[in-house]
Amino acid sequence: MSGGNSKGKARSKRHEGWEEAGGEFYQELYPGAEQELFEHLQRADAAKLATLLPSKQARNTTTVKRARSQNERRQSTFARTTQSRDIHLSMMPDLSENLSNEERTWEEIMQIKAMPVPMNQKRELKAKLQNATKLRLQGLENIHWQQRKVWHRFRIRFGEILGKLEMWQSPMREIEGTFGTGVVSYFLFLRWLLFLNLAISLFVILFLIVPKTVLVETTYDCDEYETNSTVCCSHAYLNRNLTESNIVLDVIQGTGWMERTILFYGVYSDQIYTYFIKTFWETHLYYNMPLAYILVPITWALLSLIAIVKAAAKGFKEKLVESEGQFYLYCNLVFGGWDFCIQNDKSAKIKHKALFNEVKGCLEEERFKEEKQLRSRESQIFLHLRRILINLIVLIILIASGVLIYVSFNYSLDRLSAKTAIQVDSDGPDKLYVNRTWEKLASHLSIDRNYQVLGLYRESSFLEQLENTLLEFLPYICIVVLNLIVPEIFNYLIGFEDYLPARVIIVTLLRTVLLRLSSLAVLLSQIYMFIVSNDLTCSWGNDEANGLECWETYLGQQLYKLILTDFALQFVTTFLINLPRAFLARHSSSRCLKIIGEQDFYLPKHVLDIIYVQTIIWMGSFFCPFLPIIGTVYYFLIFYVKKFTCLTNCTPSPVVYKASKSKSLFMSVLLLGFVVSITPVAYSVAELLPSVNCGPFRGYNTVWEYVIDTFERFPLVLREFVFLLGTSVFAVPAFALLLLFLYYYWAVATANRHMVSVLKNQLVLEGHDKQFLLNRLSAFIRQHQKRCERRNRASFADDDSSIRQSSR
Amino acid sequence: MGQGKSQFTEEELQDYEDLTYFTKKEVLFAHQKFKALAPEKVGHNKNAKLPMAKILQYPELRVNPFRDRICKVFSSSNDGDCTFEDFLDMMSVFSEMAPKAVKAEHAFRIFDFDGDDMIGVSDLREVIERLCGPDLKLSDSEIQQLVQNVLEEADLDDDGALSFAEFEHIIDKSSDFCHSFRIRL
Repeated sequence: MSGGNSKGKARSKRHEGWEEAGGEFYQELYPGAEQELFEHLQRADAAKLATLLPSKQARNTTTVKRARSQNERRQSTFARTTQSRDIHLSMMPDLSENLSNEERTWEEIMQIKAMPVPMNQKRELKAKLQNATKLRLQGLENIHWQQRKVWHRFRIRFGEILGKLEMWQSPMREIEGTFGTGVVSYFLFLRWLLFLNLAISLFVILFLIVPKTVLVETTYDCDEYETNSTVCCSHAYLNRNLTESNIVLDVIQGTGWMERTILFYGVYSDQIYTYFIKTFWETHLYYNMPLAYILVPITWALLSLIAIVKAAAKGFKEKLVESEGQFYLYCNLVFGGWDFCIQNDKSAKIKHKALFNEVKGCLEEERFKEEKQLRSRESQIFLHLRRILINLIVLIILIASGVLIYVSFNYSLDRLSAKTAIQVDSDGPDKLYVNRTWEKLASHLSIDRNYQVLGLYRESSFLEQLENTLLEFLPYICIVVLNLIVPEIFNYLIGFEDYLPARVIIVTLLRTVLLRLSSLAVLLSQIYMFIVSNDLTCSWGNDEANGLECWETYLGQQLYKLILTDFALQFVTTFLINLPRAFLARHSSSRCLKIIGEQDFYLPKHVLDIIYVQTIIWMGSFFCPFLPIIGTVYYFLIFYVKKFTCLTNCTPSPVVYKASKSKSLFMSVLLLGFVVSITPVAYSVAELLPSVNCGPFRGYNTVWEYVIDTFERFPLVLREFVFLLGTSVFAVPAFALLLLFLYYYWAVATANRHMVSVLKNQLVLEGHDKQFLLNRLSAFIRQHQKRCERRNRASFADDDSSIRQSSR
Repeated sequence: MGQGKSQFTEEELQDYEDLTYFTKKEVLFAHQKFKALAPEKVGHNKNAKLPMAKILQYPELRVNPFRDRICKVFSSSNDGDCTFEDFLDMMSVFSEMAPKAVKAEHAFRIFDFDGDDMIGVSDLREVIERLCGPDLKLSDSEIQQLVQNVLEEADLDDDGALSFAEFEHIIDKSSDFCHSFRIRL
């Protein structure tokens, strides 16, 4: 028994420690409870013993106590620090021990709201606390407390104001009421993107657009420079007569007069604006436009990255906690399944159904897993073969769509260049030049006739213009249509693959992302080839715009068009296709029509829609600084479009979307989009030759060269310092240090995980011990009771016999 | 009678602000909502006690499978009838500002149908049946399986029921709970 004894000792020691921690609680509970316990034990129903355990006592009191004791502990530390601060006070007999001061009382009052008791009890408690004698705070402490109070009040007011500013509260509520929290998290994400774009737009407006419009450029005359200098080239480019064309077409294509607006890269100046303000300073003020033009994109890229990572990290933290508790699947389902915010009957019914399906699905999944282990080798091989086959098909579809985009881009380019080539012979520069001069002369001579021709041209060619526009838009229409159709095919295909329901969403999402991004990549590579194959020539001397005088602007135009097409398509599908469908489904009883018409809000698709747009915005913002602003407007409008889709066209989805999971998923996909979109931009900044005719970086070999040039002008110390950062002297130790930190945190995480499992095991063991002891106790009680009864009976019998004897 | 604003003194509002997770304006807004349930009665007495049936007309509660439990938990007279203060307590717990622990506390009481301070097998069955709604019925063996699974996940001490500590432990790990256990005012 010695072993048992020592164990018991250890336990009692631990018990003591425990008691110390929650001392007050146990002192209060035990003395009274002991007698009660025995009384209970006397009458105890053995099965109900468990309800007598302290942990099973009414929690009302315990939670209150717990909150209190925590509070007290905090205060005691606070008191200790204040004591040490003014020792001379503590020399006097301390009467304040049992009295609380104002701050403490206030804190306690703030804690009342967490108690699970009705309002009148809370109010009594508050009154009691307020009326209790307390110390007035003095001096520094008083100021400190007042500050805290003011801060608290300010925070409440501020929260109130923020709450008022919060956009789209009532639509969110409406959506939440019908679709639950999963779908609302999508709309919150949409709003988040809107704010991100708003922040980027602010940067762009403040540092690019306002300086560009307000500050005046100094104009240089070309005559003083060589003909192929940047001044002359850009002079020629910017002052060329614009070909007359339809304003509407210009607006949607970003060509013509639009090309020369602050929308695009081309018009931004390469000058350092100089200002001389006499009244304020006697110095010059500079605004370095090119530097601003490169710093602003870097800033917004960092801003977006930080914003994404911050949001994603929050999601990941939750996910990590959850993944540790993969075992809590069923508990989550049962206790967190119902969205308490659902408020109309129909969605409640659908929610019931969704939960029902989810429960069934989970149970089936479990069975499925069991079956999987039992499944024969052949069927497993068959399944894998099927999956491989479908993945192949998916790959083929992806490649095919890439090729389709490639072909359509080339086709439209060929046709368009063929049309311009009618006027421009491309035999050689000399001949061209001669041709041009001749044309110029001719036009000088016969202006009147030319005008007539122009008029004729305009009349005859409206159709032609339309065709041109269509050709211009062909690749974009192609991309968008592919984005519309192919996901449906993927959706159909995945049915054959037997994935788990949660996996299905991720796999389809990944495939669709791949489709969208690959189509973008094909387009970009096409544009890249086009840019590289066309030599960047100086506009001076070339009177005809041959399409590619400023490739950055060109690229900006393409992405601008892509966004417009996308928006138009969203609009058209929502209002012209899906609305009639929904109408059909609602007002007809035919089963067939219902199948065609009914749509549910398929979350992954809608998420992709907006992430795709964000990708384009990131990609294009360098070339078209207006894009974030357009994006902000886009998101603002698309919110209403999507809300309409959601509330009017769709019925709630039979799939349960988990708010927490979907958020981290959105963020990861967004991060992928960010990387994909920033890479080409970074490449173009670092490697490609900026065009000579336009933009802030004309005349440099790469954009980055400008940054390096500017850097060279920095003071020597700073330069040296930055160089030092780049050398191995700094980099290697820094890298090693980072690795060390990484290792440390990893080790801590593993240790914690281990600790969790150990504690859990211990808990289970304790549970068993408790069970065992309770059983023993109940057996003992039963025995005791029996013995008592027997004794009673015996004594009765004795009495009886004695009575009998006496009666005899 | 009169406007919602004039029905409360500044002192009362301050009390409510201190004792709930609401600001004064939100308290007034909550009162408007409460009044909308029974305009006549609340007009006469701002803290009138409304029968459970009336409270259950509140849109979110109307469709909630645990509606009667919610009312009973928050009712100060324990019979499901709520005064405005009870209603305010309820909304405060369901508000976004309320911390997880407070929500968990009340959720536990809502799910504890028989009131024995443990979520036992019968409670779990009730919860599951209510979740699936009146029209859809899981088979008995399915429910049994589900209850078994839940207990396997959460019942750490193997006593066949969830104590509050165990329940709190689950809720701590569930990030969805906070999202879903919420009613916007």
